[in-house]
Amino acid sequence: MNAIHRSSDRHALEARLGLRLAAGLTAGTERLPHDLTERLRFARELALVRAREARSASPVAAVGVSASGGLLLGSFAPLLQRAASLLPLLLLLGGLLVIEQWSMRERVLAAAEIDTLLLADALPPSAYSDPGFAEFLRSEPQP
Amino acid sequence: MASDKELSDFLKSVEKRAFKRTVYAVRSDDSALDIVQDAMIRLAEKYADRPAAELPLIFQRILSNATMDWYRREKVRNALMTNLSEFESPEPDGDFDLLEMLQTVEGSLGTESAADAVSRAQILHLIDAQVAELPARQREAFLLRYWEEFDVAETALVMGCSEGSVKTHCSRAVHALAKALRAKGIRP
Repeated sequence: MNAIHRSSDRHALEARLGLRLAAGLTAGTERLPHDLTERLRFARELALVRAREARSASPVAAVGVSASGGLLLGSFAPLLQRAASLLPLLLLLGGLLVIEQWSMRERVLAAAEIDTLLLADALPPSAYSDPGFAEFLRSEPQP
Repeated sequence: MASDKELSDFLKSVEKRAFKRTVYAVRSDDSALDIVQDAMIRLAEKYADRPAAELPLIFQRILSNATMDWYRREKVRNALMTNLSEFESPEPDGDFDLLEMLQTVEGSLGTESAADAVSRAQILHLIDAQVAELPARQREAFLLRYWEEFDVAETALVMGCSEGSVKTHCSRAVHALAKALRAKGIRP
């Protein structure tokens, strides 16, 4: 019990001495040179200007205007603006896919046209007199 | 939300102590002014919408971070040396008579006698010099706790350490200051 009491007294004493010493620092700080206090005043005024700018910028951010001209309201504005910035990339990827599909289709159509020409080519009349060919025509297609 | 006047009044009330605290840390008036200005601007730009009552704690945290940023940028070798000095004197002098020193300091600073003006100025200068000599963490704890008059929990929050560490740092700082002042001949 006494030990706790002594510890408490000790902490109280330390605190009192600490506060007194700090008060001495305060007294010393009041006598800062004029140029330093002026620079501190300038820093303070600069900070106040920045605070006003930050406050006035906040409402603008709350009601933003997207690239397409639509109104973006509230806290969704930054999210939508970020999403809008991805739009050109998405368009580019979409365009590449369309080009790839179109190119593939063109190649298939070209091959089909060649096949059609080959298959539709008129047979020489002598072919029908060929027994093998006649047999081929009669034969059932294999499964 | 803090009004312009509240913000201005707060900055005005804290700027000199902030400057002095930073000078203790970086040992350069110009660098300290830059750091304090940087901290003020960071507070104004990012936290001007906070209630005025929250500003002291936020500002001290910003100031501590700005000072650490300065150390990182400058890579001052002395910073490392200062940190190393924290390993000294694990226990304060238990038998040192704090009460005696308290009475001396209160006697010297508590009254504004014209006859003691020179002596008082010398003691103020001595206290200032001895605070500057404290290890960095002890000094920070001492200044936040007794100069900014934060409580232990707030000081721990600003310093990013436990409340126990704050108490230890403060105790060591007070004992070190008392011992140093006594060594300089300040006696009852």
